[in-house]
Amino acid sequence: MRPLTEEETRVMFEKIAKYIGENLQLLVDRPDGTYCFRLHNDRVYYVSEKIMKLAANISGDKLVSLGTCFGKFTKTHKFRLHVTALDYLAPYAKYKVWIKPGAEQSFLYGNHVLKSGLGRITENTSQYQGVVVYSMADIPLGFGVAAKSTQDCRKVDPMAIVVFHQADVGEYVRHEETLT
Amino acid sequence: FFCDCEELQELLASVFTFLGLPGGRKVGWVGWRRRLLGRRRLKIGEDFTNTIPISSLTWELEGGNDPMSKKRRGEFSDFHGPPKKVIKVQKNESSIGSLAMSTRPRRVIERPPLTLQQAAEKRTCDSITPSRSSPVPVSDTQKLKNLPLKTSSLETAKKRNSISDDDIDSEDELRMMIAKEENLQRTTQSSINESENDPFEVVRDDFKSGIHKLHSLIGLGIKNNVSCHDSDDDIMRNDTEYDSGDTDEIIAMKKNVAKVKNSTEFSQMEKSTKKISLKNRENCELSDHCIKLQKRKSNVESALGHGLKSLNCKSPSNSGSSEDADSASELADSEGDEEYNAMMKNCLRVNLTLADLEQLAGSDLKVPNGDTESDGAETTTQCKFDRGSKSPKAPTCLRRGRQCIHPEKIMASLLEGEENTCGKQKPKENNLKPKFQAFKGVGCLYEKESMKKSLKDNVASSNINKDQNSMKHENPSIIPMEDGSPYVNGSSGKLTPCQHAKKANGPNYIQPQKRQTTFESQDRKAVSPSSSENRSTNPISRPLEGKKSLSLSAKTHNIGFDKDSCHSTTKTEASEEESSLTSLKKSPKVSSKDTGEIKTDFSLSVSNSSDLSAKGKHAEDNEKRLAALEARQKAKEAQKKLVHNALAKLDGHPEDKPTHIIFGSDSECETEETSTQEQSHPGEERVKESMGKTSGKLFDSSDDEESDSEDDSNRFKIKPQFEGRAGQKSHFGTDDRFRMDSRFLESNGEEEQEGKCFIVQSPDRSINTSTYSFAFHFKRFTSKGQHGPQLKKHLTCSSPRVQAFWNKAKRKKKREEAEKLPEVSKEMYYNIAMDLKEIFQTTKYTSEKEEDSPWNEDCGKEKPEEIQDPAALTSGAEQPSGFTFSFFDSDSKDIKEETYRVETVKPGKIVWQEDPRFQDSSSEEEDVTEETDHRKSTICFFAGIVHNLSQLYLIFYCCIGNHLSNNHLLTNTAIWSKLTTDC
Repeated sequence: MRPLTEEETRVMFEKIAKYIGENLQLLVDRPDGTYCFRLHNDRVYYVSEKIMKLAANISGDKLVSLGTCFGKFTKTHKFRLHVTALDYLAPYAKYKVWIKPGAEQSFLYGNHVLKSGLGRITENTSQYQGVVVYSMADIPLGFGVAAKSTQDCRKVDPMAIVVFHQADVGEYVRHEETLT
Repeated sequence: FFCDCEELQELLASVFTFLGLPGGRKVGWVGWRRRLLGRRRLKIGEDFTNTIPISSLTWELEGGNDPMSKKRRGEFSDFHGPPKKVIKVQKNESSIGSLAMSTRPRRVIERPPLTLQQAAEKRTCDSITPSRSSPVPVSDTQKLKNLPLKTSSLETAKKRNSISDDDIDSEDELRMMIAKEENLQRTTQSSINESENDPFEVVRDDFKSGIHKLHSLIGLGIKNNVSCHDSDDDIMRNDTEYDSGDTDEIIAMKKNVAKVKNSTEFSQMEKSTKKISLKNRENCELSDHCIKLQKRKSNVESALGHGLKSLNCKSPSNSGSSEDADSASELADSEGDEEYNAMMKNCLRVNLTLADLEQLAGSDLKVPNGDTESDGAETTTQCKFDRGSKSPKAPTCLRRGRQCIHPEKIMASLLEGEENTCGKQKPKENNLKPKFQAFKGVGCLYEKESMKKSLKDNVASSNINKDQNSMKHENPSIIPMEDGSPYVNGSSGKLTPCQHAKKANGPNYIQPQKRQTTFESQDRKAVSPSSSENRSTNPISRPLEGKKSLSLSAKTHNIGFDKDSCHSTTKTEASEEESSLTSLKKSPKVSSKDTGEIKTDFSLSVSNSSDLSAKGKHAEDNEKRLAALEARQKAKEAQKKLVHNALAKLDGHPEDKPTHIIFGSDSECETEETSTQEQSHPGEERVKESMGKTSGKLFDSSDDEESDSEDDSNRFKIKPQFEGRAGQKSHFGTDDRFRMDSRFLESNGEEEQEGKCFIVQSPDRSINTSTYSFAFHFKRFTSKGQHGPQLKKHLTCSSPRVQAFWNKAKRKKKREEAEKLPEVSKEMYYNIAMDLKEIFQTTKYTSEKEEDSPWNEDCGKEKPEEIQDPAALTSGAEQPSGFTFSFFDSDSKDIKEETYRVETVKPGKIVWQEDPRFQDSSSEEEDVTEETDHRKSTICFFAGIVHNLSQLYLIFYCCIGNHLSNNHLLTNTAIWSKLTTDC
């Protein structure tokens, strides 16, 4: 368990900022306490200072997880957000996509969101913008990347992918063994 | 034909054999036949391969693509049927979008060749192909619409698996997906025209879903508006389309209000407009739906009337409300991540929203036109919350702009901010967003305090009496002082969101403010007398009690304590009065209080700037923390002072001690009084009593010392008691060596007794009974094995101390006895003399008559001297010598008695036996005895020998000293006795 390096922090923040933009500051600068990011087993954990201090008492090899896992660094030193970060991304998301109830299941199985399943989208969503996917009942289902801008979505074929799947809450079941 | 063939075969065979070609015979008939037939088939195959492939002939069947025929063949599709909802939606889409329908056949046309190729390639693996290789789709729309979805699902499934390995970055994966999608788009680009009729909704980034609007309206009891809550036809249509959504909404509608609130709160969290809460949303909604509200105003007011008070305030205009919403949103954003508090404050918000709703309902009546125009102008789905869009993200919109944010820019700024502050703190954002400000010290606390104060004063001036005002003046000064208590922390933590909510409300929401603050004040009333007040008074008053009790005299003590008890029970006013009254020695505490008040006054004097609201919680928390620290420090100082004063008084005024002692003696009656009054007080009384006791003990101890000093002299008096029976009770010190067992004491007592008797009686020779008893005891000692070691021990323990003790005891006893002796000794002497009469009649009488009194005097004087002398000479070995004497005497007496009875000739023995005594005591008489009888001379000779022997023995023993063991001693004594008996 160690703090992130500057490069790691930059990479991770870039990724997170795709989804929540400047609201990232709210994650870092919280009024209810000091929260920080720690790297453990190539995974980045978002943890309160208190818990971090407590976890410092546990040896690194015995420590499985602490706080909330935001994602992991790949071997190419890129950051991949995990679905466990959804709870922190969803409240601060700037660009959102609501999918129709019929497309929920497909999305939760790891599929992309087609235009036919698109129920609602935030305006001015640009292409390749990180979006948080909600159900029509405003339940966050995951997040992805907008394959089309909002304007393009109007024109696009119903079968066209409008949101590339990145993570969904179905991973809690599908990737139960790898999520921490 | 076959016959011909056989003939031919035979002919050929004969030809081959004739020619000598190989295989002619070997091939045989069958072989020829095969060859011939094979040739024929080859010819046939060559004929037909060009026209029809065998595979097509064998496998391609008419109508084989029917699902029933497939099933008959045992071919079942791997894929499950698509969910019905999808079908329904897509059917709806197909029914809606006619142009979209036109695109599908093209796809259908495009797809089949591809699938046919795949089928031709993968003929062997038939499991997947039948579904894909459906050249003539039966249900075109379904299958082809689901087909890309399925393929994408397959691809993503593969991709997922690879992603779960996590070697592929999401970026790379994205790029792959994008490339794929682009390729696919190219193929279908021409077909894509405008499918704007696809029913997805584009919302603004501050969108709140219709469900929540619905919920909020339901929660407000405006069910009538539910059906027409939205002016957008699109959403209405969507709602009708989504069956599940409708059911969800219906279910949600039936839920209770609290849950609805939670969901709304959740949606707020999503929108990152944490604290804006229902008010703003309802501002927006109501501004949108003002017309409908206007229409249904009567219903609304009837629905809301029960939950609201009369509108007495400053009813805000619509623009004012929007401004309020803006300010409120600013403040609300400042609350940041207070989701939990927001959740906890639902109940209050209900009231607020009701108030707001009513206000807005009233205000919308006034200015409805702008809203209607704006709403009417926007026929599309966009911007239905044009008014609302201002409010929730007002501060962020300033910065953000319309275009999407490039994350690199943001991150650059963020990272710059990070670099400035090592790690994750980003003060740079503070310039842009002043909502989260770092702690700036105490100065901002005063501002914060002033903010709080001003709000409270506003409230207090409006409808709260002076008591509550004083309460509120005092409470913040007290509560942070007692910040250490968790309960108070909790209460403060609870209170702060209220205050934030108040601030968020802005000036136009004074009525709900009032309500809140009244609630707050009540809450504080409820809390403060119980917890904070008690806790505030307890640390203050208790040390004061202690101080008083220590400082004041006993008479005023009870009174003071009564005061204190009242102090603890009464409320803040009484406590203030008490504090002012008893401010004599409360100076540290009172100063702290005063400083707190001064602070508050100062803070009140500070101008109430609007920016303070943004600083929000941090300042409050820091203030409380600092105040708590100060309070703790002061409390510590006060305690130290108290203790110091108390100790100084205890130490510095020794003249109080006698008074204390007097009270200690007299306090018993007082304690009876005080114990009935107070419970905590008796502790002090106990202290006092204990003090008195200790003081008394001190004096007692001093007396004891004096008495000890006296006893030092008395110790020597007490010591002789060891000799007697009284000595059994007394201790001989704590030393284990002198601890006396019961056996030891018994035996020793007897020994002492008998030794004493012997010592006393031996010179007088009245030894009959005593010597017998002693002899018996000695036998018992020697005979009993258990006493043997003790005896040894006892003898080895005959250290100089014990010897000296014995000698002392002997001396003293002899002195005492010597004083008493003359009377007794005469009789004893006469008794002994009676024995001697028969033998030495003349001599005895003469000697007695001549030297009666001087002999007695000499006996009394000389004997101790004689005994002292060997004791002085042979300090360690005196006792054994005495012991031997006694032993000798005892034996001699026994022998004497026996011989006296049996043989009458032996009285000479008696003479020489007595001689040592007489020699010791009266050597003067030797002349007389030598003259009298010749035997006597011989006896005297023997006696001299014996005497010499005894002296030799003594000398020998002295030479050896104490080094001799008891065995030696015993053996020596035994030898000595043998010698004597032989003699």
